[in-house]
Order: sequence, then structure tokens, then C-alpha cells
Amino acid sequence: MANIAVQRIKRELKEVLNSDEVARCSIHVELVGESFAELKGEIAGPPDTPYEGARFQLEIKIPETYPFNPPKVRFVTKIWHPNVSSVTGAICLDILKHQWAAAMTLRTVLLSLQALLASPEPDDPQDAVVARQCKDKPQIFHLTAQHWANAYAGGPSINTDYENKIRRLKDLGVTEMNARASLSSCDWDLERATEQIFS
Amino acid sequence: MDSDEDIMYDDDYDDSGNESSGDDDVEFAMVEEPNNPKERQELDEYPYEVLTTEQILQHMNECMKEVNIVVEMPSTVIRMLLNHFRWDKEKLMERYYDGDPEKLFTEAHVASPFAKMAVPAKIAKKEHRRTGPSVEECEICLSTLPSSVMSGLECGHRFCVSCWAEYLTTKIMSEGIGQTISCAAHNCEILIDDATVMKLVPDAKVRLKYQHLITNSFVECNRLLRWCPSPDCSSVIRVQHVESRPVTCRCGHTFCFACGNNWHEPVRCTLLRKWIKKCDDDSETSNWIAANTKECPKCKATIEKDGGCNHMVCKNSHCKTEFCWVCLGPWEPHGTSWYNCNRYDEDEARAARDAQERSRAALQRYLFYCNRYMNHMQSLRLEHKHYATVKEKMEEMQQHNMSWIEVQFLKKAVDILCQCRQTLMYTYVFAYYLKKNNQSVIFEDNQRDLETATEKLSEYLERDITQENLVDIKQKVQDKYRYCDSRRRVLAEHVYEGYDKEWWEYND
Ligand SMILES: [Zn+2]
Ligand SMILES: [Zn+2]
Ligand SMILES: [Zn+2]
Ligand SMILES: [Zn+2]
Ligand SMILES: [Zn+2]
Ligand SMILES: [Zn+2]
Repeated sequence: MANIAVQRIKRELKEVLNSDEVARCSIHVELVGESFAELKGEIAGPPDTPYEGARFQLEIKIPETYPFNPPKVRFVTKIWHPNVSSVTGAICLDILKHQWAAAMTLRTVLLSLQALLASPEPDDPQDAVVARQCKDKPQIFHLTAQHWANAYAGGPSINTDYENKIRRLKDLGVTEMNARASLSSCDWDLERATEQIFS
Repeated sequence: MDSDEDIMYDDDYDDSGNESSGDDDVEFAMVEEPNNPKERQELDEYPYEVLTTEQILQHMNECMKEVNIVVEMPSTVIRMLLNHFRWDKEKLMERYYDGDPEKLFTEAHVASPFAKMAVPAKIAKKEHRRTGPSVEECEICLSTLPSSVMSGLECGHRFCVSCWAEYLTTKIMSEGIGQTISCAAHNCEILIDDATVMKLVPDAKVRLKYQHLITNSFVECNRLLRWCPSPDCSSVIRVQHVESRPVTCRCGHTFCFACGNNWHEPVRCTLLRKWIKKCDDDSETSNWIAANTKECPKCKATIEKDGGCNHMVCKNSHCKTEFCWVCLGPWEPHGTSWYNCNRYDEDEARAARDAQERSRAALQRYLFYCNRYMNHMQSLRLEHKHYATVKEKMEEMQQHNMSWIEVQFLKKAVDILCQCRQTLMYTYVFAYYLKKNNQSVIFEDNQRDLETATEKLSEYLERDITQENLVDIKQKVQDKYRYCDSRRRVLAEHVYEGYDKEWWEYND
């Protein structure tokens, strides 16, 4: 790995670890292995959002040409959000693409991701299904995002109605993850979800 | 330099037969016999120069100097402004004197050359607060460094020189951006001028690439300039007026100045462009396959419909299912009259059938011309390879006591062979679009003659040369190539005469 990239990552780790955000447990970064090419990030769900109280793991890959090209970041924790793929965790965010600037850091990236959780942009979606729900049925979107945060990211809100519907599908031999994904994309209409799975 | 006027020319360069190219031609016009196109073709010169990247840079700088005489600004600012106006000098001047130069700079994303004195507030504050006046922190490598190794533009964003070098190298080498590299700070749209780039990039290779990138837009915007399309060549051809004419680069590549394709006499650029597009999307072939083949409803074998009858029998010998072409249902209920098919009435079925026939005939016509075109293209490639063989033969002949001058005829023969093949290749493009009339019949005769003669010449060149047959062969080859060359001229001149006299009518 290029010297400048390594030097930058070292400095950035120090910067993050000394930041107010870490003190407040709002963001966290650590190395994966020895090479500085991969890091593990974590962000807390921002308050007053369906993600409040949950923690999301991120995979951060540092390219050879860092910081002149952006890091490659992906959600490892499953999340229901219009700008994140509910399947792969891929993120649609301008600063991770053409708006990247060499003076940005991992800290700014993590804070930007947190900001993205607080204000989704369904008009520039990564996941079209989630984006449509977010625009057309904001109430269901909120509950679904909250439910996913509870199921995958340690969020506090338990939705017994949703849990029951998932159990009904599980009784038919569907895996929990598939049941949740189908029900979520069918706005929790059990009949439609069943049809979608078995057709 | 008068090139700037030409930038605004319309797309009228296909008039290769037209004499309106300027006063320079007056001299020739007096000598020439007006009704003899052959004379005209040979006398009407087409002056052009081959320029290197260095010369283009110079040319570009001259253009910038002319603006600088009127508007005093750093030359790189002028370059970026000219680039913004696609090298239209007049337009730049007009906008500049329109009143609001500052607005112009913002619009072109150029740091205002008049704002140099303003001290960037943000940086000044930072220096004092953090580390004192002589050291600064580079926000890219996060190192604290002496101010002497920090650099930046008027926008106030400063980074260390090694980070700048890395940043610019990434932009130039991996993203291929030259003209529009902006400041490395987030959301800063200020463009970096070329003096700064040249100063901050230490690697000569990167600097060369950068020069190529910045001259590229100058060349692309200037209609009197064209990069040689040969893959490893970085020369530029400069003409005095745009015409569909052959130009030969320093590297030996000959191409049409107007369209950049290989020299394509006798067909015109527009028709060639249409042809290339047609060949590119072979959708026509796939459409035909879609319209004319179906799958056997039972075994899925592909069945091509070749007659008008809808009673299909699967060609797969193990299947032989009988079915109806129209509805793909089993044939049995249709009985003996195919139009009993209840999903399709008779008229509709007939219309569909006719359309199929038409599309098939059109395709076959296209394939006929395309095959011949491709065939000559293929042979032309082989002929180029023959140059090596010919060289060998020439050396051999010199050992048979012939002088270097005496064996030159062989190279000349391959030259002419290649020219003839190239012309023939493009005659098939012309012929494809040509509507039949009295003149097109003459054209086809000329084409046939040239084709026969060319194949003969090609055969002669393949023969073994021995001491005994050498004199004989030389005579025959010379006769053949002279004949070929004259047939090629006759054909081309006939086509050009047709352009002048509006004989040609086109399909589509
Ligand atoms: Zn630096
Ligand atoms: Zn800037
Ligand atoms: Zn060339
Ligand atoms: Zn052309
Ligand atoms: Zn069959
Ligand atoms: Zn039928």
C-alpha cells in the first residue's frame, strides 16, 4: 500500500479515536488485520429516527490510491433505508463517488453516513423498493426500518404484529430473513408476500 | 491566424468537387479546362501540414497571445476561458466586454486573476490559531509542514506539494482529465491553471500526458485541425479549409480530413458514415432472424420459414412435428387450407408474409454488398502484409543483376494494388445506396472492369520470379498496374462527374 495512504489511515484513526463522537460512542473505527487496507466501522443510529438505539457495522476498504480516491464502504448490518441496498448493503452517497475530496476523512464519511440515516434521499435511491415505500407509505417505512433495526442492529422497538406475520411464514418453511424481506417489500401484506414467495 | 473564423463553418465539407475553397485556387482555375474533371482533380492541390504536439502547443499559445493583446490576463486564464467558449475568440471578447468579467470567471470556474491580492481569510486564521505563521497542516496527508512546501490557488485551499503532485497525477493519468481539474478541496470548483500543474507535477511522463490533454480540446474545437487517427500517433494535420480530401500523416497513414476515416474515394463522407452505422448495428440481421425463424413448439429446434406456406414441418428428423407458422398450434385442425387459422385473417397473414419477403430481399441485397466490401477490406489487409514479401523479392531480384531502380516496379505494383482495393471496397458502399439508371449501369461496368483487372494484378504478384521469367514478368506486371491505375481513375472520375452533374440518385 502507498505510503501516503498508510500514513493517512494512521492519522485518521488517531483523529477518530480522539474525537467527541467516539467519546459519545456515536462512531467507531478499527483496523481489520495488519495491512491498513481494510477497516471496520460502526455508527450509532441517530436520535429521533427509526434507527435510534441501534448500531450498524460497516465494511471499509481503502484503495491503493487513497486519499485521492474514496474508500469503498458498505453496510454489513442489514438495514432498511432507501439509499442502502437491503440485499447487499451497497450505499448510494455522492461523497463516496464523484463528490469525494482528498481532504475528507473516515470521520467525515462516518458522520455523513449518520446524516444520511437521519435524512434519507428517496429520489436518489439505491434500493428502489425501499425508496417507493419511503415516499408512498412513510408510516410503514418508519415501522419497517425500526423493525429491521431491532432485528439486525440491536434496536429497542419490538413490533409484535410484524413478528407474528414473520412467524406465520416461517411455519410454511420460509427462512426468517426471506420472510422479513418479502413482507417488508409487500408493505406487510401477508397474502401478497406469501404469493411472492411461492410463485 | 484565420483559423478562428473557420471554427464556425457549417457541415458543408462534403462538397469535394466544389471550387469555393478560396482565392488560392484562382491560379489553378486559369490553367484548368473547366469541363475536364480529370484535369481538375490533378491540378487542384490540397495544402496541409503535419504538426507535432509541441507545434500544436505553440499554435495554441499564438492564439492565446492574440487575445492577450486585447485583454491583459495570465495566459492560462485565457486558455481556460477560450476552452469555455470552444476556442471562439470573438465570443470570448464579446462576453468579456459585455460588462461583468467576474461573472464570466465564475461561469468558467476560473479563479479571478484580479483577486490575487485578497488574503484567504480561512487559512490566515488557521495559521495563527494553530501553529504560528511558518507551519501549516496539509489536510490531505494530515502532516504539519513548513509553509514553504504548501501550495494552493486563489481560493485559499492549501495542500503540501507532494499531495498536490499525487492528486494531479491521479486526475491526469487515471481519470484522463486535463482541462478541468479542480482544486483538491471538497466542493471547490476553481480550476487549476496549466502553469500550476506543470509546476506541481514532477514526472515528465505525466506532464506530457497533460499537455496532450490540454491541446486535445484545442484540436477538437478547431475545425482546421485533426489528430491523426492512427493508434500510436500523436501528430495533427492542419489544413487551410475543410474538405473531404486524403491527407497523409508523418506516420504514413492516409485518411480523409473531413471525416477521419481511411481515404474512401469515391464515396462521400455522409454516405460512408451511414454505411458504417448500418454495419455497426447488425440489428438488421438479428431482426430478420427474429422475423423469419421460430422455434418448433415441441422440440424447440429453430425453424426458418422459406416459403409462403404456413404448414410447417419440423426439420428435426426425430420430431417432424407439423404446426402452423402463424399460431404455432398443431397443424391438424387447420386442415388443408392454412388461412383457416382463426387467430389471423387472410389479409393480415398475407401482409405479414409480404413484409417478411421484403425484409428478406433487402437483407440479401445488403449482405451481397457487405460481403464484397468486407472481402476487399480483408484482401487489403493481406496486401499490406505483402509489402514484406515484396521487399524480399526485390532483394532477390537485385541479386539477379537488376539495379535498385529497376526493381522499384514491384513496390509500385503493390501500392497500386492497395489503392485499387481500397477504391473497390468503397465502390460497394456507393453501389449499395445507388438507384439504378443509365449512369449507374456505366458505373457498374467500370466497377467490374476494375475488379477483374485488380484480381489479375494480384495473381501476377503471387507468381514466383525466376531469372528466366524475370523480364517477362516485369513487363506484364507493369502493363497490369498501369491498366489498373487507369481503370481506377476512370471509375473515380466518372463518379465525381456524376456528383457535379447530379446523375446519382440514392436509396433510403
Ligand atoms: Zn500533504
Ligand atoms: Zn479550492
Ligand atoms: Zn499519424
Ligand atoms: Zn470522409
Ligand atoms: Zn420439432
Ligand atoms: Zn394457425
